[in-house]
Amino acid sequence: MTIVTPLVGPGPNAGPTRRGLLAAASATTALALLPRRASAAAPLGPVAEAEAVIAFGHIGPISDGGWTATHHHGMLAAKRAFPKAKFLEVESIPVSADATRTFRQFVENGANLVFVTSEYGDLLSSVADDAADVGFLECNGHRTSDNQGWYYIQHWRVSYIIGVAAARMSKSGKLGFVGSFPVPAVYSCANAFLLGARSIRPDATAQVILINSWFDPQAASQAANALIQNGIDMIYTNLDDASCLQVAAKAGIKCATWNTDMRASGPEAYVTSLLLDWDRFYVAQIAARLSGSWSGGGRTILPVGGGVDRDAWGASVPAETAALADAVRRRILGGWNPIQGEIKDADGKVRVAKGAAMDEMACYGWNWPVEGVSGLRSA
Amino acid sequence: MRTYTVQRVPSVSGRVRTGATLLSCLASVLAAGLLLALLGLHPAALGLQVLHQSLANRYGLEDLALLAAPLAMCGLSVSLMLRVGLWNIGADGQFFVGAAGAAWIGLYGPSWSTLPMLALMGAASMTAGAAWIAVPALARLILGTSEIITTLLLNFVARLGIDWLVTGPWRDRASSVTAQSPRLPVAIPKLPRDWHLGGMHWGLAVVLALACVLALAFRFTRWGYELRICGANRNAASYAGMAVNRRLLEAMLLAGAVAGLGGMLELAGTVHRLQSGLSNGYGYVGIIVAVLAASSPLGVVVTGVLMALVLNAGTVLQTQGVPSSAAVALVGLILLSAAVGERLANYRLQRIPPAPRPGQAA
Repeated sequence: MTIVTPLVGPGPNAGPTRRGLLAAASATTALALLPRRASAAAPLGPVAEAEAVIAFGHIGPISDGGWTATHHHGMLAAKRAFPKAKFLEVESIPVSADATRTFRQFVENGANLVFVTSEYGDLLSSVADDAADVGFLECNGHRTSDNQGWYYIQHWRVSYIIGVAAARMSKSGKLGFVGSFPVPAVYSCANAFLLGARSIRPDATAQVILINSWFDPQAASQAANALIQNGIDMIYTNLDDASCLQVAAKAGIKCATWNTDMRASGPEAYVTSLLLDWDRFYVAQIAARLSGSWSGGGRTILPVGGGVDRDAWGASVPAETAALADAVRRRILGGWNPIQGEIKDADGKVRVAKGAAMDEMACYGWNWPVEGVSGLRSA
Repeated sequence: MRTYTVQRVPSVSGRVRTGATLLSCLASVLAAGLLLALLGLHPAALGLQVLHQSLANRYGLEDLALLAAPLAMCGLSVSLMLRVGLWNIGADGQFFVGAAGAAWIGLYGPSWSTLPMLALMGAASMTAGAAWIAVPALARLILGTSEIITTLLLNFVARLGIDWLVTGPWRDRASSVTAQSPRLPVAIPKLPRDWHLGGMHWGLAVVLALACVLALAFRFTRWGYELRICGANRNAASYAGMAVNRRLLEAMLLAGAVAGLGGMLELAGTVHRLQSGLSNGYGYVGIIVAVLAASSPLGVVVTGVLMALVLNAGTVLQTQGVPSSAAVALVGLILLSAAVGERLANYRLQRIPPAPRPGQAA
């Protein structure tokens, strides 16, 4: 059995040196997939490290062990890389007018660069438009301006790899997915997961249950239980917590999670996790802001191996299954796009023709379920 | 030996009440400072920072006004019902439903110019808010069902209804992470720039005007007088020939309409999209706002601003490195002390003169 150490992933020993981070950072910048808009904005002026103020605003608590914990990890890495800069961090910012107030406080505190680790839309852009000398980066955002950009991760490709393993880990071929809202982040994740599974097992299906929250352990457990009662024996979830994994372990089925290594919550059920690593991206963006080369309009999707990857396979994953999925992973690392036509939607309509591939922006805005996915509707 | 007894004072002067509230707020701020010191922070510096960032910066006043407006609207709604001795725990739900009514007009209604459109949205929000409280109101008047329970429970129904609307039929296709409606095509105009209130919108003027109108109506109209008597003693009011049930119904429906209008102002003035986070517990904070103001409409404006200051302090504290849980706890502590102090003002310590000893010459 081969257990491949993941390339990235937050862990207690992940304490990279500043030089290493900066070297990696330039690599990440080179890997940023999307071109800036034609009318590139002028860079914001340089800032001395000792006078720099970097702000982080999170959607959840930094102790969530999931999404926000990974961003907090990135902030700590940035803090180590720029020890003289001042860092502000606010957690659990509600998606309400309170968010606007918090972002304004960042500006008022002299922030030079603000990272907002979830999409706040207008609540953020109204502040950004009023503070032209402050840079804003919105995770999973959509808007760009002279001083605002967005960043995200290529999670659909990792979900594809996980789908390949899931097809082998499931006996019945009936897969389950527990998600939050009917939004592209969930469509792309569930779709790519099933496409990966169908590449191995063409009769596989995926039933999706949405719980209308990113963090609601009770609802997540109920959803996982409902899937299990429908005969599903492999669950994938992109929620922040490990409750699906716990339910899966109790029921004797398999589960893959998101954000962090969660195997401790159900070692015998754990297949893998989609790991997030923002360290290099954050350090690179701050370095650019300080040197005076940062400008708005950036659209970054961090690639597999450069911000998102699978975790080391769980103890119950056979070596052969791991090797099968890792072969796909190697192809992806080599630049192969696994989201290839022909792809039909759940109504049987051909959406991606044979021989065509879905590009990254199409995956980023995915809003229809692929054939075999139930529980999501075409938006 | 001296003995003391605690006596309830039938009526307290406004000055004593205000003094007690201020004193207890001060005490809680001191306690909060102690807590911050225990967390290893500098309470005095943080306090100055909070005041500076809440009042003296280019966003502070605007943020304060933007937060105070929905709090005051919910406070006005609660105080309207307190006038007749009823509790409106459901301002949050009415706020949401009012916003939904306004969003429906804004998104799917006619495409008129801004002013008539806003008027129609306001009317829709007031109708929706009043309709939302109509069931608890009728249940209260006909069956005697406690309005505290029914209005509270309807908050959850309203919130889930909004969740359904924004994840289902009204979902914005462009946004990615959370569920929200598309941006409304109409917005309440901003105040003129040279008034130095930044991005504050004309909704603020609506709040102030409504508070004044209610204050005048309570003070100078027969209707306002009857509301007060109905609240003080329903039997006496009935004996005096007042239409008690009618007044109660009017107060409740109006309370729902005011909270609903608050939702519309927040939607069309500040947030511009219907979403589950539109009210961050404003209806519940509105109860504290109304109680601290002793249900006076003008007082509600003042306590609404104070409450906004306290809640804003929570945000400022977080940017200064105070954990969010500690910031929430501090805000809760201040609110609790203020409410307790206001109640304690009704009591006084009375010295009991020692009883004459038996055998002692009179």
